Amino acid sequence: MSWLPLSFGAPVVLWGLLALPVIWWLLRLTPPRPQTEVFPPLRILARVLRREETPQQSPWWLTLLRLLMAALVVMALAEPVFNPREKLPAEGAALALVIDNGWASAADWSKRVATAERLIADAGSNGVPVVIAFTAEKSNAEIGPFDASAALDHLRAAKPRPVPTDRPAVYARVAAALERLPGASVAVLADGLAAKGDDAAFKTLLEKNATRLVWATSDRPSVTGLIGADNQVDGFALTAIRAPGDPAPAQVTAGAFDDKGRRIADATLTFAPGEATATATMAVPFELRNDFASIALDGEHQAGAVRVLDESSKRRRVGLLSQAEADQAQPLLSPLYYIRRALQPFADLVEPSSADLADAIPQLLDQKPAMIVMADVGTIPQQVKQRLVDWVDKGGTLVRFAGPRLAAAGNDDDLLPVRLRSGERALGGALSWTTPQAVTEFPKNGPFADLSPPSEVTVSRQVLAEPTPDIVERTWATLADGTPLVTGMKKDKGTLVLFHVTPEATWSNLPISGSFVEMLRRVVQLSRNQGAAIANAEATAASLAPYRMIGADGMLTPPSPDARPLVPGSGPLPVTLENPPGLYGSETGVFAHNLLNASSTFAPLARPQVSLPVTAIPYAFDESENLKGPLVAIALLLMVLDTLAVFWMGGLLTRRPRRNAAAAAAAVLVVLGGLVGHADLARADDSKPGDAQAIEDISKTRMAYVITGEPGVDSISRAGLEGLTRFLIEKTALEPGPPAGVDIAKDELSFFPLIYWPIDASAPMPSQAAIARIDAYMQQGGTVLFDTRDQFSNGIGAGSASPATERLRDILGNLNVPPLEPVPSDHVLTKSFFILPEFPGRFNGSPLWVEASLDASNTENRPVRTGDGVSPIMITANDFAGAWAVDENGDPMLPTVPPDPMQRVYALRAGVNIMMYMLTGNYKSDQVHVPVLLERLGQ
Amino acid sequence: MGRIGEVQAPVATRDALARGRLRASLVPDLLVEARRIVNTVIAGWHGRRKRGIGENFWQFRPYVEGDSSRIDWRRSARDDHIYVRDREWEAAHTVWLWADPSPSMLYKSAGAAVSKESRALVLSLALAELLSRSGERIAWPGLADPFTARNGAERIAAQLSHAAALPAKPDLSAIRRFCDIVLVSDFLDPVEETTAWLDVLARHGVRAHLIEVADPAEETFPYAGRTEFTDPETGDKLTAGRAETLAEEYRLLYRARREELAAWCKRLGWSYTVNHTDRLASEALVGVHLAMTADGTNLGKAVA
Repeated sequence: MSWLPLSFGAPVVLWGLLALPVIWWLLRLTPPRPQTEVFPPLRILARVLRREETPQQSPWWLTLLRLLMAALVVMALAEPVFNPREKLPAEGAALALVIDNGWASAADWSKRVATAERLIADAGSNGVPVVIAFTAEKSNAEIGPFDASAALDHLRAAKPRPVPTDRPAVYARVAAALERLPGASVAVLADGLAAKGDDAAFKTLLEKNATRLVWATSDRPSVTGLIGADNQVDGFALTAIRAPGDPAPAQVTAGAFDDKGRRIADATLTFAPGEATATATMAVPFELRNDFASIALDGEHQAGAVRVLDESSKRRRVGLLSQAEADQAQPLLSPLYYIRRALQPFADLVEPSSADLADAIPQLLDQKPAMIVMADVGTIPQQVKQRLVDWVDKGGTLVRFAGPRLAAAGNDDDLLPVRLRSGERALGGALSWTTPQAVTEFPKNGPFADLSPPSEVTVSRQVLAEPTPDIVERTWATLADGTPLVTGMKKDKGTLVLFHVTPEATWSNLPISGSFVEMLRRVVQLSRNQGAAIANAEATAASLAPYRMIGADGMLTPPSPDARPLVPGSGPLPVTLENPPGLYGSETGVFAHNLLNASSTFAPLARPQVSLPVTAIPYAFDESENLKGPLVAIALLLMVLDTLAVFWMGGLLTRRPRRNAAAAAAAVLVVLGGLVGHADLARADDSKPGDAQAIEDISKTRMAYVITGEPGVDSISRAGLEGLTRFLIEKTALEPGPPAGVDIAKDELSFFPLIYWPIDASAPMPSQAAIARIDAYMQQGGTVLFDTRDQFSNGIGAGSASPATERLRDILGNLNVPPLEPVPSDHVLTKSFFILPEFPGRFNGSPLWVEASLDASNTENRPVRTGDGVSPIMITANDFAGAWAVDENGDPMLPTVPPDPMQRVYALRAGVNIMMYMLTGNYKSDQVHVPVLLERLGQ
Repeated sequence: MGRIGEVQAPVATRDALARGRLRASLVPDLLVEARRIVNTVIAGWHGRRKRGIGENFWQFRPYVEGDSSRIDWRRSARDDHIYVRDREWEAAHTVWLWADPSPSMLYKSAGAAVSKESRALVLSLALAELLSRSGERIAWPGLADPFTARNGAERIAAQLSHAAALPAKPDLSAIRRFCDIVLVSDFLDPVEETTAWLDVLARHGVRAHLIEVADPAEETFPYAGRTEFTDPETGDKLTAGRAETLAEEYRLLYRARREELAAWCKRLGWSYTVNHTDRLASEALVGVHLAMTADGTNLGKAVA
């Protein structure tokens, strides 16, 4: 079975497959042999038997099914294992596991653990002790010997560490432990990276007491590391390495993250075939680059693929020096003004507190600036000049601007890139033939080569350089006549730059052009910070506390308890368990301690040449799978199938097909009904008593009156609203339905826009709940028209009131009644359909009270006041319904007082206006704007 | 459970003959008297006292115009009249006998005394003995042409025992009108086949008497359990899982076959007699005797 990765734990059981023919024979024999009978009337019997002929033997497929079932059970009992793992030969008195758990192991740590677990399991089954040691653990970590389960515990407790391995020390410990266990198998689970001292370490480990070497490593280290991240002029230069000799090209993506962990830039590094190094430049704006806190390779979950960045790769500090005193009064004439404005966005500006150069220059140099700009500084005091020169030699960038002082000061070979002629040159003056010179193309060899020359810049005055042989290569910018405008030179590691003009706009308009910013920025980018500036001067020498560590998986984590403060000193700092890679310091200033440095390489680890027998195993997960369960499951499934088939053949499923089908159909119907009908039932179930009435009420606009319980009042109310309805149908587009009488204690009120409430003192007082309902109705937008019908039955005297009015007062006492006023003459009610000066009913004279529109105004003498809303309450005493009431023939039922036919007409018009007011609100008051609108449209 | 039915060896004809004689002795002389055939059937050697086709002189009678008989010129020459000589009709009644020789007849169940074949031979030989004794002509289709002999049964038995192989269904087309035929079989073939075979008799106007020899096991179907049935004729096998479940339906069909056949016989005026092998053969013999001697009114009555 070499073609199939299958093995059996108990292959002897497979002989049971030989029983299959016997089983087949047995299956063929069942059912039992029948009684044989001679029977002459067989043809008659055949007619009976034909319909339910029992086959003499089970069908071939059923036999096959059962044979398959038996075969599966036999196979399951043989304990088959798919993808069996190799067992290591049981040799040796002990097993010594040395496992690399350095940073390079982090990516596939689980595979290494799985491999080690297998080795330990084999050792456990052989009953030999296990020595387990990790090469990146503390030197006092326990290594055993353990029994297998304790070794497994140790293995599971181990984690990859973000530090390099220390093979010599650990191997020596293991070798020492093996002295008591001679004849041990040594399993080396290496991370594949060679390190210093490997040969000696292996020699120590394997020379004595080892009888066998199990060598587990990947062919080639698959790790990719980031060894360089430098902030360059035009971008962030990244350098990544991989194990040498990989013939395939590869691409990795690097991402830059800010201190909050946000990804802010990307770059792709491409390894050429066979190349071990890849570089790329993260071309991002300068400002963004200063936010980089770390750079990591995507998909590499290990510490080597992460670099943390400290201040040294960020903003440059620029020191500013000037000798002008009276700067503050005229800032635009201050020599540093334009420089400051130009540099501020991308550099930290440092200015000395002292104006004295002898104090100011040391102050600046203590800040370790990347660049110092001197605006027209002539002579530099001797006591500080040497320091300045040293600073430049060590990599500082000194930018000087010309000016009267410099022109007067004479030459300074150390701190000027060119020799200057004393005095300055004026161009285009009154006594000169020349004109102010423009700037030409920037020389190709200069740092400004890719900038576009400022055509608008003219220079009218400058200092001139002595022509020397190297003047051309030191010239970074020239004027049209060939004289240098900017010169610069490398001085040791540093740079000297001289602008031959002043930093303010007196000698030229260069400082107020955009090119000035570009040029200064370019110069700043050329500069390098001269060391980390620590805010606290005393802490410089002191140790740096761990701040953010790089975890073994490449994530930035808080420091572990093992991390110790880092003592920055000269020379490279080793990455150890005490000083894991990461940022040291505090928020104010950090020091980046990275795992890999620029000279790191990934040399593959070679297998030591030893005389021991060697077994090489790959790192792999245990992929063996016990097939016993699935096989038994399949056999059970087949058994179920067999049972069903027997039932089917026995006719259990077909004996009563109609009943079954009917039952199944019924079941399906029930289920479907449950699914579909459920919604129907739910939908059909929401009818409530009174729905028909409600639907009738809302399908047409209807006016309502309050049923007071007094038959005479109620019939007049109904007849009145009938009359008004007829009038509305006759005169307006509104066709209301028949009026409705409502019981305010029970009926739903919100269907009606207007409720007419004739107050009758003899009617029972409505209950509090009913009045609360009226209140709610009014609050929600309805309007109640109270009619006391007592215009001419008021008592005598100012304070007297009719019983109806008293009753109205009682009712209103429980309502939230807004302030009221009689309908003003410019109220919408007077204009909403007919123009009405008053609102008579059967009586005349009573005002119609409505909600006072206090905030409404009528400033422009419009016919209608503005104002929003509809009055929720109207009160009259004019007996509207009495005037509106008509009988079936349309004849008025009650006479008006006084008997004036026009008064009835006016009463009806008042009703129409009220109804229109109810339905349209202040629409009419908006309509008064129409003439104005039309007028505007006309223009 | 022991086997219910078995196939018996063919019975020795001699033995059957002896038993047949015994049976026949219990039955009175088989004088076939049938009013239906009063003019056509005359028993054996006894003259029918009628003119007809025969060897012996019966009478001279005057010739009448249109008489198709031949004129006896010798007698007519003696006087002035013309005479016709009539002969006494001497044609004896021929009865054909046939017993089913097929293998299915060899069946004998546990409840039966003899096999069906044995019973059939006994019946047919007993009839032969009876008929011979009463002077009728007897015959055996495919074996013996009609003959008259006192020892007719013996002769038939001898011929049967010497016959090599008898056809399962002999050709019955040679049997002429006014003959009787007694067919002893189990009639287990489908009714259509049986009627098709016997249809020629009906067309020739032969009066047939069918004796169905039935084994009790065939009728009651006492089988139960898983049973494999074998047809002794064709060798076909049928396996019934639970034979008892078939019994009722089988009995219906079995009886339906018998009743259909009996009804068909009755329609043709034939008799149909059933004899079970667990009963006495005499019962059937008496039944057939009655049928053969009966007049037309009770012909074809099936006797159980």
